Amino acid sequence: MILSIAREFINGFWEKRIRAAAAAVAMVKFLKPNKAVIVLQGRYAGRKAVIVRSFDDGTRDRAYGHCLVAGIKKYPSKVIRKDSAKKTAKKSRVKCFIKLVNYQHLMPTRYTLDVDLKDVVTVDALQTKDKKVAACKATKERFEERFKTGKNRWFFTKLRF
Amino acid sequence: MAAGKKTKKTHESINNRLALVMKSGKYTLGYKTVLKSLRSSKGKLIIISNNCPPLRKSEIEYYAMLCKVGVHHYNGNNNDLGTACGKYFRVSCLSIVDPGKTEF
Repeated sequence: MILSIAREFINGFWEKRIRAAAAAVAMVKFLKPNKAVIVLQGRYAGRKAVIVRSFDDGTRDRAYGHCLVAGIKKYPSKVIRKDSAKKTAKKSRVKCFIKLVNYQHLMPTRYTLDVDLKDVVTVDALQTKDKKVAACKATKERFEERFKTGKNRWFFTKLRF
Repeated sequence: MAAGKKTKKTHESINNRLALVMKSGKYTLGYKTVLKSLRSSKGKLIIISNNCPPLRKSEIEYYAMLCKVGVHHYNGNNNDLGTACGKYFRVSCLSIVDPGKTEF
């Protein structure tokens, strides 16, 4: 009798593992940091942004899944070869925004943007205006230097709609 | 995933499996909850009716591509899918969260 109980216990042990493994194969979370998303609602609708930090289960203030995104308020203009250095500098300027957005108001894309913004863009940067401005300035620098390398071109082109 | 010419027999089996999931598993019906289940990666299979609007269909397929979840295009419109789920309303898309007693 003890053997049968032990066998059932062992079977139960493995069954849970097998189920977990099968479940793990099917599940891939994609709303993770560095994911490029498109904001769908609000003032920044149609703008591309990158997820800096995600709160899947919400917080006490926001009881829904949301994430902290850093996005582009004003895209850099098209830089052509004829431009002088002063003109390219002026055209490559990026204006940024930082926002907490509900998952429902985002469209995830298959693109990612590997810019390290975790130390700069934090939730308490959104508390006061001057902290927010400082954080926006820092992300603006990081975005601009990424734009100048010519990588992630999709992220820095305006979405036409 | 994408339906070719569906024979009668496989169509019946999908209906049977769907009935079993309704009875013993967990599922959500409707576009909003389907997207929610995809975002939280709880969905295991998404079923879309054939008269789902094409923009919505491609949006669900894109989300499913991102989280590597299968999409099944049901051979029937939303009325048929609702009936197959045993409901008296139309169902355009549904997400199976826990298959229950069906084999996957």
